[in-house]
Amino acid sequence: MMEKKQIKSSTLSVIKADVTATEIDAFVFYARNDLKLGSGFGNAIALRGGPSIRKELENLGPLKVTEVVVTTAGNMKAKHIIHACGPKFQEENLEQKLKTTIINVLKAAEANGIESIAFPPMGAGFYGVPIDVSAKITIETIAEYLNKGSEIKDVIICANDTREYKALEPKLKDALKKAA
Amino acid sequence: MNTEKNKRSYKAQKVIDRMGQKLTRQMVGSLTACVHCGMCTDSCHYVLANPGDPTFAPAYKADKIRKLFKQHYDWTGKVFPKWVKAGSVYTDEELQELKDIVFGKCTNCRRCTVNCPMGVDLATFNRMARGLLCHVGIMPEGVEYVAKEQWEIGNQMGVLKEDYIETVEWQEEELQSEMEDPTAKIPIDKPDSNIVYVINPREIKHDPRSILDAAKIFYAAGEDYTMPSEGWDMTNFGLFNGDDELGGAVAGRVYDKVEELRGKKLVISECGHGYRSTRCEGPNWAKKDITFDAESSVITMLEYIKQGKIKVDKTKNPGSYTFHDSCNNARSCGLTEEPRELLSLVVEDFREMYPNRAENYCCTGGGGAMSMAEYRPSRLKSAKIKADQLAATGTKTVVTSCHNCVDGLTDLIGHYKLGMDVTQLVNLVANALVIDDIVEENKKKYAEKEEVSSGSAQ
Repeated sequence: MMEKKQIKSSTLSVIKADVTATEIDAFVFYARNDLKLGSGFGNAIALRGGPSIRKELENLGPLKVTEVVVTTAGNMKAKHIIHACGPKFQEENLEQKLKTTIINVLKAAEANGIESIAFPPMGAGFYGVPIDVSAKITIETIAEYLNKGSEIKDVIICANDTREYKALEPKLKDALKKAA
Repeated sequence: MNTEKNKRSYKAQKVIDRMGQKLTRQMVGSLTACVHCGMCTDSCHYVLANPGDPTFAPAYKADKIRKLFKQHYDWTGKVFPKWVKAGSVYTDEELQELKDIVFGKCTNCRRCTVNCPMGVDLATFNRMARGLLCHVGIMPEGVEYVAKEQWEIGNQMGVLKEDYIETVEWQEEELQSEMEDPTAKIPIDKPDSNIVYVINPREIKHDPRSILDAAKIFYAAGEDYTMPSEGWDMTNFGLFNGDDELGGAVAGRVYDKVEELRGKKLVISECGHGYRSTRCEGPNWAKKDITFDAESSVITMLEYIKQGKIKVDKTKNPGSYTFHDSCNNARSCGLTEEPRELLSLVVEDFREMYPNRAENYCCTGGGGAMSMAEYRPSRLKSAKIKADQLAATGTKTVVTSCHNCVDGLTDLIGHYKLGMDVTQLVNLVANALVIDDIVEENKKKYAEKEEVSSGSAQ
């Protein structure tokens, strides 16, 4: 499953894949404010990446909501991990905070010379952002950012399953219509 | 303006709002039907283990949720709130207290439900209350950990895809060795198979012999089956934590994979929680009509014996055995007779436990309750009822058709020093298989092939 679109000099794609297993410059981890990796994708980072990532994180944070930090990715296929502390569990002004978090991720990527980046559907799943809301904000925010011209060449959004893919794919088409 | 809403914390208001979206006709029926007759009290293992503490009574626990319904969603609470004991929640501390009731004082076993003359299903709205709390991030740490694993990695125990495949391949090597057949396979992602076999991640992480045992049975039956590389976890933490979205996502992953592989039948390994969520509740959560058959592996194994596809010898399982009904299998899905029939075919000495079937007591595993370490002392105290039931059978081994019950029973057997073993039907069926002739034939066949190939090499 893959849907890919060109936005200015960048591409924006939706694929069905494990975001932590992608071969890419950086992937985004939806982080806790204390930067503990915890379970889920955090567990995958700890297992696949090795202890060096946790060690790096010990000297960083805590983060406020919308803040991000960049670490290396240890033994993983990616080179970097962007730990993004997005809003969680229906907190106030969720949509605006989510948008700001995504913009901060993209700015951090550019500041670190990252040319390709993989996102999960931000905040969807465990943290309770409905998949339709997450898909709309994640894709629209990235598309708007890339449409202004960016040094980031490729952005991939990784759906964990068909349900997420089906929510993301039409939003990509909608965002391109808006951008055009 | 000091309105009712202004007095309430942000999270408490979100819980109230969400409740309105989650009430179903079944829940409303249960929330309005209770006449406080007390019939549920003696059916609850928490009450029986804590005599004199009314806070464990199902009706008392239900009232903590019922008062919210009465206050916010029922006309009686608006007209005479004091008479119907309507009430609300205002602070995050009150939400924490509610968390300790809905997660810590009930295993959602539904024994009170089957003993309620009014048909009040406490577990249904207790589960809803768990979901309301999880929605605003209030949940035990263990619940948070497991739910996140299943949302993001795709299974409750955070088993990575490469580790799953490696474990299945390891069990395939064991199968080849035990069957003396280097061509024996545990297929992964084989399209158009008769059976797609899904398992509990506990089998990968702690009990791979159950994968091997199932593979031996499939091998002996000559079954055309496959295991999926994704969507293989048939457990569903959404059943436990009340998150219908998680329930739908997890069940959907299983169903999508079966459809992608064009499997004819989904066979669910022994797990009460998994069987109920994947076969019974999942299609509703995932909002999906499934196009294939789905059954418990207990039924598959029983059919193999009845149809003569496998032969078993019950003398291979000596000793005395009793059977523990998983609450989800027995009370929620009616799977009570097939496991007994199968057990009687593979052991010589099967003794019933009393009470049994839909009246059986919970092992206190609660389809996920063991993930919450903070409630372990109280859970094990309530397990005294199950321990007494087990001890009264005088058997050495308790058999169950549920991985969660295996852990729950093992925990309480250790705590109460009962000295019993716990096993599952798949282990007993595999052990009772009459396969010596197949293995001998394989040995000869591959020895001859080896001779021919070494002869031609010379």
